[in-house]
Amino acid sequence: MKSLALGAALAALLHITPTVVLVKRQDAVARLLPGAEQFTARELHLSSQDSRRLHDAVGWEPPDGVITFYVGKRQEQVSGALVFMRVDCQHGPLELAIGYDARGTIRGVEVTKATVEMKPWVLEALRAGLMDSYRGNTNAQAPAGAEKVKPRVGAMPGYMAELIDKGVMHASAAYRLFYR
Amino acid sequence: VLYDLRNSDLRVRWLATLFLATLGTSYLFGAWMVGLYAGFSTGKVAETYGAGGEMAMPMQMPPDTTMVTERPVSMADMGEEQHHVDRDLLVQDTHVHMPMYAMIAASLSVITLGLAIPRRAGLAIITLLFAAPWLDFAGMWLTKLGSPHFAIVVLAGGWAMALGYVIVAALATYQMWWRKS
Repeated sequence: MKSLALGAALAALLHITPTVVLVKRQDAVARLLPGAEQFTARELHLSSQDSRRLHDAVGWEPPDGVITFYVGKRQEQVSGALVFMRVDCQHGPLELAIGYDARGTIRGVEVTKATVEMKPWVLEALRAGLMDSYRGNTNAQAPAGAEKVKPRVGAMPGYMAELIDKGVMHASAAYRLFYR
Repeated sequence: VLYDLRNSDLRVRWLATLFLATLGTSYLFGAWMVGLYAGFSTGKVAETYGAGGEMAMPMQMPPDTTMVTERPVSMADMGEEQHHVDRDLLVQDTHVHMPMYAMIAASLSVITLGLAIPRRAGLAIITLLFAAPWLDFAGMWLTKLGSPHFAIVVLAGGWAMALGYVIVAALATYQMWWRKS
């Protein structure tokens, strides 16, 4: 009976809380590809070799081998690109939208989804100005948002900032290596 | 029977009834969630768990060279979330849900042990209760790693889970509160 109760408690503790939308994807697109009138989805189906290249660069590869960039155009001119990136941790997934301008510089980052448990930690990291640290970075630059906000936030918001750094790093590596 | 649910203490019957009611409610929401995120048809399930779920064209193996496809999309297409469970998420789901399913199957089995039914029927129900989550997750993994045709196994697992619950809940409720010996 004891082990039954312990097992139930453990199962409840392990359960990941539901996902909540922090920023609607459409709103993220509007902010990160401002003024774009036409959009195309550029899907990169990575070869094993390119998956390995990406893995060697940042220790990550898309599990299903596909990266989708959404390209925004204004009057037939590319105004930028955006990629949605998921970062997993033991508290559940985070979804980020990372936007690049036409030169490949980061225009902005939005956290579009988090779990109920992670939401307050993410919001605290955002209030500490985490997103400002990415704006204007080149895609070759290592993101250092966590380093900047950690002195001003608690341990878990600091951890969220590390995860967001990681997502930005993955997106930028994919952009740098494969986006044409 | 190991114990007789029909003539058990009122507290035991109350506990079993509340447990079944709570589980039934969570199953109803579970079905709603499945409808929202995966669907009840083999096609929808295959799209959710299959290897090609995020692609326009299903592609089981990585291509020899990186392929780039481009298609026009609208703002609504980007906003519409196509729920897809990739390998990493399925690892997490399996890790998180299998212990919970085991606890549910075990709890329903304990109730089954108190039912006045033939020994073989008890064995069959207990087997069904544990086989259902195995089928569910085996189906998800087979759909991911094998073929989208295994989506039928996921559906079979889901329906088996519902069937197991309905059998135990109906028999237990009837025997606890109506058929007293």
